[in-house]
Amino acid sequence: MRRTGSGRTALLAVLALLATAPAWAADIEFYQTVDRTEVGTDDTFKLTVVVVDAPSNAQVRLPESNDFEVLSSSRGSQRSISLSGGGPAVIQDITRHELLMRPLRAGKLTLPPSTLTAGGRTYRTDAVQLTVREGRVGGSAQAQQGGRPQLPDPFRNFRNMPDPFGDDDSDLRDDEPVIPRGDSDLFLRASLDRDELYVGEQATLSLYIYSRVDLSSVDAVTMPKLEGFWTEEVESPTQLTGEQKVVDGIPYRAYLLRRRALFPVKSGTLMITPAEADITTGFLFAGHRVHRVSNGLKVKVRPLPNGAPPNMSNANVGSWRMSLDVSQTRVELGQPITVKVILEGQGNVKNVTPPKLTGPAALKIYEPTTTDRLTPNRNRIQGRRVVEYLVMPQRTGTFTLPELSFPYFDPSRRQYETARTDPVTITVEAGAGGVSSLPSTMTPSQVADAANEQKNVLTTGGLRPVRARAHFVEPSQPVWMRPFFLAGVLAPLGLLAGVALVGGMRGRLATRSEAGKGRQQAKAARKRLAEAEKLKAGADAGAFYVEVERAMTGFLEARLGFPVGGLTREALGEKLAAAGVDAERRARVLFVLEACDLGRYGGGVEPGERRKVLATAAAVMEGWA
Amino acid sequence: MSDAATQGYYTAEEAEAVFQQANDAYGREDYANAQAQYEKLIAHGFGGPDVLYNLGTTHLARGDLGRAVLALEQARKQGGRSEDLEANLALARARQVDKVVGAAADEAFLPRLAAATDGSAVAWVFFVAWLVGFALLLFRRAFPAMRRTAVAVVAGLCLTAAVPAALLLAAHIWVHQNVHEAVVLAPTLVARELPRSEGRSLFEVHAGLKVQLLDETGKYVRIRLPNGLEGWAERDGVAEI
Repeated sequence: MRRTGSGRTALLAVLALLATAPAWAADIEFYQTVDRTEVGTDDTFKLTVVVVDAPSNAQVRLPESNDFEVLSSSRGSQRSISLSGGGPAVIQDITRHELLMRPLRAGKLTLPPSTLTAGGRTYRTDAVQLTVREGRVGGSAQAQQGGRPQLPDPFRNFRNMPDPFGDDDSDLRDDEPVIPRGDSDLFLRASLDRDELYVGEQATLSLYIYSRVDLSSVDAVTMPKLEGFWTEEVESPTQLTGEQKVVDGIPYRAYLLRRRALFPVKSGTLMITPAEADITTGFLFAGHRVHRVSNGLKVKVRPLPNGAPPNMSNANVGSWRMSLDVSQTRVELGQPITVKVILEGQGNVKNVTPPKLTGPAALKIYEPTTTDRLTPNRNRIQGRRVVEYLVMPQRTGTFTLPELSFPYFDPSRRQYETARTDPVTITVEAGAGGVSSLPSTMTPSQVADAANEQKNVLTTGGLRPVRARAHFVEPSQPVWMRPFFLAGVLAPLGLLAGVALVGGMRGRLATRSEAGKGRQQAKAARKRLAEAEKLKAGADAGAFYVEVERAMTGFLEARLGFPVGGLTREALGEKLAAAGVDAERRARVLFVLEACDLGRYGGGVEPGERRKVLATAAAVMEGWA
Repeated sequence: MSDAATQGYYTAEEAEAVFQQANDAYGREDYANAQAQYEKLIAHGFGGPDVLYNLGTTHLARGDLGRAVLALEQARKQGGRSEDLEANLALARARQVDKVVGAAADEAFLPRLAAATDGSAVAWVFFVAWLVGFALLLFRRAFPAMRRTAVAVVAGLCLTAAVPAALLLAAHIWVHQNVHEAVVLAPTLVARELPRSEGRSLFEVHAGLKVQLLDETGKYVRIRLPNGLEGWAERDGVAEI
């Protein structure tokens, strides 16, 4: 913690005081002020007449008017010694006259000036205009501040710093301090220039000592805990420098202890804890040390509005310009290029991140270095952040550093903006001199290194290029999910099953016909017998008998289940008998076969004979199930 | 913008023109425009490994690691391995935040087998061998008697070849039905113990990591890393390959 003052400083001040004659202020300051300019006829107000550095024989004449009555008056004096800048001490005598007054009528009234007579000269204060209304108006003394700039500043000898209460910056305001009930002569006051803001927007915290007593030193200042804020020092005086500040009509000397810029990093209601300070008052051996605690503060932080560009940081708040500074756009291989990305404007300079410089693989971009330059203006943090890249060309050719964009939120316009740079084209040429131009004093390894720097480096790696031609493919299902695939796979199996099924059926049909085979053969034999009947009247008797014999043979084979072609008549008779054929049918069978044998060799040419054979054959077949 | 770009249907010539426009935009480092044109081609049915490769390369150039890996993996799935594809995939993997460590980091056998072989080719080999084998068997009698033995031998060879092809095809079908690979698209994706937003966070994965999808419920999917690490992550944070 930096100390604003110390006991050692006080001792040095005493020595300086002894070594140098005190300097009495030569100018007389004389002014008057009221604690309010608008009062009611039932209200009172306080008139304060201040005389600074008047001779002891000076005569003060307070204002007299028939429009006002004086209810009470008081007079006080004090002497202050100020040490600043190592120069002589400045001693001031201040006499303060306070009158409690009441207007006697309504209207625009004028309180006449006070007069001071000293050394044969007469000094006059300004008259004070008051608006008086009927009855009671109330209100506080805070409204009185408008009249202050009209008054001469008795502390102008100390005015070597910006006026934190000046009216030249509408954005910057400190709220009026409230005099604490206790310690009203010396209190610590923290204030913010705004209590509602966006994330990343600046608020300025000021810490003042308000004093009506002499200060010797300020020690051990404990700043508030600033959780949720990024902070930057705006002002941190190394010595006490006071200025006059009238609070509730009471003049104080206000000493700035610290001024910091706060940039909230999160939204919500953020608390600022009280600050503390140890202050030594009095002078020489009469001084004593007191501890003072300031007020706490609360600030409402709004999140950035919707519609932020993607990936924009919350720190990108303020008003920014971005530029690109390239050392050269035409360069030889091996010669570096310096590229500066410059972001300047108002905002949290040290927390913004300019966009990263990118480029083609042919330009090797080294890690950058960042430098900041803050130039606070009227308590606003502003400046420039420079990110400097070293770019080393690796190949010959023409390359482009693409445009950079920096999105940010401008709280004054309440909208998002984007700062941009233009693309930069860099032409890299082969070295004119090459290795031969290198100094002869270089060692071989140095020559090799230098030569490598000037090579057109053709390496693999990096992003492979896109394909120049495309074979378009419609989106489709896998082959095995297409309908034809399953059908094709199952088809042979189905075909195989079909064939097997047909074969099985045919086999079963064949098995089943063993029983009916005889019937079929018998049927065929009867059909053949029918054919023979057509031949009975024909000239070819042989053909008739052949047909009848075949019909009979076929019928017998169908009924008996075995061939009968090679059997003798006796054997056939026995077979028939064995098959249970009755004797009459056996005789007919044998008759027919005998007749056919006879007919084939010339017998039986008579039609009656043929009819008899045919009828016998039919009789054999008939009724033989 | 050309007429083709505004129509709902592209002719082959229009598709080729759009493809060249996309390539020209890529050459100008106008990656956003190039990406839009490639995506239009795919949306109109003119996809394929080449367009997907170019789209993935464009995403990679833009720094969108998740979509880059997704498009490149899709290109690989559709068109198999190629040198430029593998190089850009390796580059994308090198830029990934996550490093999967563990003894079980090796991929299972069947997915590896499926990845190493072309599913379509396997399916066609099986299909043809199967049909030819059976056809020869069925119509063997149509050949002269002296050639029937040779026909039977050829039919046997075809059916024998169909067996391993059928097994390989079965592996592809199994992988297709059961193994769902995906790529993390979200810059950061939290894997939780339960499919709920208040579930305990187990680990985080980042854009570009290839994971396996195991289950899905509501807006959550269960993901598995190659080393077996599992957790429930938001469905929108991943995209299936």
